[in-house]
Amino acid sequence: MERYWNEEIECMSRDDMKKLQDQRLVAQVKHVYDNVKYYRDLMDEKGVKPEDIKSTDDLHKLPFLSKADLREAYPYGLLAKPLSECVRIHSTSGTTGKRVVAFYTQHDIDLWDDCCARAITAAGGTKEDVCQIAYGFGLFTGGAGLNGGSHTVGCLTLPMSSGNTERQITFMRDMGSTILCCTPSYAAYIGETLQEMGLTPDDIQLKAGIFGAEPWTEEMRKSIEKSLGIKAYDIYGLTETSGPGVAFECSEQNGMHINEDNFIPEIIDPDTGEVLPEGEVGELVFTSITKEAFPLLRYRTRDLCVLSRKKCSCGRTLIKMAKPMGRSDDMMIIRGVNVFPSQIETVLIAEGYAPNYLIEVDRVNNTDTLDISVEMKPEQFSDKVKDMQDQERSLALAIKTMLGINPKVHLVSPKSIARSEGKAVRVIDKRKLHD
Amino acid sequence: MANVRQISVFVDNKPNQLTGVMKLLKESGINIRALSIADTKDFGILRMIVNDTEKACDTLRDASYAVTVTEIIAISIPDSPGQLSRVLDILGGEGVNLEYLYAFTGASDRAVSFVIRVDDNENASAALTKGGIIQLTENDISEM
Repeated sequence: MERYWNEEIECMSRDDMKKLQDQRLVAQVKHVYDNVKYYRDLMDEKGVKPEDIKSTDDLHKLPFLSKADLREAYPYGLLAKPLSECVRIHSTSGTTGKRVVAFYTQHDIDLWDDCCARAITAAGGTKEDVCQIAYGFGLFTGGAGLNGGSHTVGCLTLPMSSGNTERQITFMRDMGSTILCCTPSYAAYIGETLQEMGLTPDDIQLKAGIFGAEPWTEEMRKSIEKSLGIKAYDIYGLTETSGPGVAFECSEQNGMHINEDNFIPEIIDPDTGEVLPEGEVGELVFTSITKEAFPLLRYRTRDLCVLSRKKCSCGRTLIKMAKPMGRSDDMMIIRGVNVFPSQIETVLIAEGYAPNYLIEVDRVNNTDTLDISVEMKPEQFSDKVKDMQDQERSLALAIKTMLGINPKVHLVSPKSIARSEGKAVRVIDKRKLHD
Repeated sequence: MANVRQISVFVDNKPNQLTGVMKLLKESGINIRALSIADTKDFGILRMIVNDTEKACDTLRDASYAVTVTEIIAISIPDSPGQLSRVLDILGGEGVNLEYLYAFTGASDRAVSFVIRVDDNENASAALTKGGIIQLTENDISEM
């Protein structure tokens, strides 16, 4: 039988949900207009007043926010509460220039925990479960979000963080973990390690996994389910909106229910900004209607996606989003880290290289690999192998410092990387991330 | 004293890279006197002594190859056991660091020639002279 964490909300009629959204949106727009000068200026520029927003039908009148706005307003420009009311920050993975810092009041943390509790419950979790959190802990939202959700549900929580896989498996066996939360690629790796240790899914108690923070395919889902003997559920979120738990999968395992009592989704044409009707592919936009400290209105996620109100067999009425099917910008997610080609370019220039490069991303044994070929300038060439390898290593280190992940750098001959007319092909992503 | 110039060319780890270099040299009528390739997983470094260093460099650079010219020491030693070991002892005794070396065919079948790349040409050259090792000039090599 399907269990709900908050049945009233999760199974609310569309009319009641819309009423709730209308009322929350109106209050939120006023809160933002009164407290966030940055957004007030955007609204004034567009000639929109808080009074013009009477219901969700008026949502399209509001200006968009994008990552560029977050950068410009860094660090406090979008804060809507005094810092003294805030209790925590989280931040997107280690990148200069593109860093996003999100603020939370205790109320925001509680709402977030509640969203994650819904996800855990939808995956079959109750207070009888042992929930192992193998997402990274720290500024990253993955660990903190599911940890909070697990506490809220009342599971015995193992805040493992990621890494040290054999120890993960030892705890999994000794504590009888029943739910695993981590990135899908790490889940796959745990499955492989289990096998290498001569163990089978029968040696562990896991029954479900909640996996997110990076794209994964149905194929990968099946392989993880088999290697760990579980049902694998997807979860979606981003630091800008709070973290994981914006949307979660139910027993149907076919798309994620959006917690639309907190986040109103829209699908827009990424070029024109026009709102698209339900069922069309476009860019996913979220409006936070309950968050206090960092309430982003009409935030463009850059994820390309489809929404559906088709009746779900789980009984939830919350709108469903399909797995994102790509990006409307050039961001890649590599080992759970957001990577823009422009970041790599910045390092190349700072290190004295020409910005002629080719990024190749692949997935080998369920781990993402990042190879960067960089054209050397003629004067950077030395007849000594060691000098060349030192140059490659020091460039790899500089890129690692910027991105937080280790690339393989290959120096190549000047002018050997194909120049195309118009837009250069900078990235080859060989991973099969979307079905 | 030695003053022999070696051309090094960066070679990408892709098919037909070496062919490309050789074709250019052939078209320019360049004769290669000595050659070695250092290869890594990622790339190769082709090192050569040729009969016309300037022309070879210009040709390769025009074709966008990364090229560098380094002064190396070239020696000729008798083709008998223990000769190279003697040379290395002389260099080691002076504290000269050897980066790499390679052999090439000399004029005589009783002698063998080597290219020696060290971190201190002056010191190495003086030590070799003192040790009675014959050093070749660029002229010697092109007349071989």
